[in-house]
Amino acid sequence: MNCENCKERPASITIKQESVIGSLERHLCEKCAFQSQTFHFDPNQEPLSIQQFLSHWFSGSDPFQAQPQTRGEPLEGPECPACGLTFPKFLDIGKFGCADCYDTFRGSLPQVFGKLHNGHSTHTGKVPVSFNELYAVKKKIEEIRVKMKEAVEAERFEEAAALRDEANTLKQHLSYGGEDNDVD
Amino acid sequence: MSIEKFMRDAVTPWMTAYGEHSDIVMSTRIRLARNLTGYRYPIAFTEEEAMAVDRAVTGVLLDTMQSGYSYTKMSDLPALERQVLVEKHLISPQLAIPDRHGAVLLSADETVSVMVNEEDHIRIQCIYPGLQLEDAYKQADQVDDYLEKELPYAFDEDFGYLTSCPSNTGTGMRASVMMHLPALTMTKQIDRIIPAISRLGIIVRGSYGEGSEAPGNVYQVSNQTTLGKTEQEILTDLGNIASRLIGHERKSRELLLAKSRIALENRLFRSLGTISYARLLPSGEAARCLSDVRLGIDLGIIQDVDMSILNELMIFMQAGFLQQYASTELSQEERDIFRAKLFRERLNVDKSSPPTEINSEE
Repeated sequence: MNCENCKERPASITIKQESVIGSLERHLCEKCAFQSQTFHFDPNQEPLSIQQFLSHWFSGSDPFQAQPQTRGEPLEGPECPACGLTFPKFLDIGKFGCADCYDTFRGSLPQVFGKLHNGHSTHTGKVPVSFNELYAVKKKIEEIRVKMKEAVEAERFEEAAALRDEANTLKQHLSYGGEDNDVD
Repeated sequence: MSIEKFMRDAVTPWMTAYGEHSDIVMSTRIRLARNLTGYRYPIAFTEEEAMAVDRAVTGVLLDTMQSGYSYTKMSDLPALERQVLVEKHLISPQLAIPDRHGAVLLSADETVSVMVNEEDHIRIQCIYPGLQLEDAYKQADQVDDYLEKELPYAFDEDFGYLTSCPSNTGTGMRASVMMHLPALTMTKQIDRIIPAISRLGIIVRGSYGEGSEAPGNVYQVSNQTTLGKTEQEILTDLGNIASRLIGHERKSRELLLAKSRIALENRLFRSLGTISYARLLPSGEAARCLSDVRLGIDLGIIQDVDMSILNELMIFMQAGFLQQYASTELSQEERDIFRAKLFRERLNVDKSSPPTEINSEE
């Protein structure tokens, strides 16, 4: 019988794996057995900290080379305007300095999150009610802007003016809610 | 100051009351990480920003909420009292560092604690006894809804709740259950279960967090993934794993009992003897014996000892609590003496009066 893992070398070692579901026997060659042992069966090894994890991952193989990222940014990347963090520094300390960092490093983050969260990089959970409302108003303003443009192009200036007023009222609502948005 | 009250009746609801599967699951904890827009995170913020965040959060919870939150600033609290709050799991060790502008808002029954300026601006934490993932989440969610109405949260359509550590981004939720797994530990099955579970996005570790051993055979089981799963999915996954662990632990207990009853009884009663009569009790031995005694109670081998003994004494045997109890600073050896005294008193108290009377001399 050949090794279950590499399917090349003959299986010479049987490993019994106990899991919550039950026990499983695996037939492996010496090389694969050694690797699976060192990889999975070291209870003494402390779990890696986020920093170690991120820096190991980035220094091991160079993911920037492998990734077909077309942003064309130098390795240093942009600096967060609010807190001054750079991407390499972020990988180094393993923490964001502020909410704006997420925007600054947005392009590189799905990779980071994918590694940390089992391949996931998009939120599917709870959304704050206030955010939903804000989002709805923003969308509405966007729609009005499109209509306004159409009205202007069709030289229906009266209608365009009415739309502009409507958008401005909504805009005021927005800034009331703490966030300013440019309508014009 | 109301913190006195917290210290005096040192027993917190999660240590006494019983939830589901409380013979194995000691407590359930939900933690939500939140940040406000417009302020940098504690790792990068200025003192002014820290104060502004503190004022905003505190204002909302103190002014309007009916349930009676009390506010405590870390820098106003003596080191010993901070340590006691950590030992009761009401605040994190990180919050207890006094020069970081941290503060905590505790609900009157200590079920909810809102930490301000920990790693994130806001950390909502909810602890329930036994296995109560849904109820604990509901409570934390309520507090979150309440804060959200008044405060501008940092939230992103793609990434969800924005947190300082990328391992919390998304739901910002960490759900964990503390489990007493003596039979799985004795039979060494736990060593194989832990790596298996970790591949499912769930981590198992000693009760004092990352890399720590499991004193008293108490393990913390929690979700690792916070992004790409809804809160409900995370709770369901964790609940399933916890149920399986409970099932395995129960089966192993039966097996131990069936295979080596005398040896098991011998070990459990010896441990009861140790904590009932020892004059010097180092923390490692204390934890091991407590675990044995609790197992003895669960199996019906040891009677007349209160069930909550493990939950309570695991907390009270720690350095901060012992010194609080002794109302003085203690050296290592003095702590072992005092721990032995505390255990003897607790076990004697147990036979005559209700368990909460431990500090009755005050």
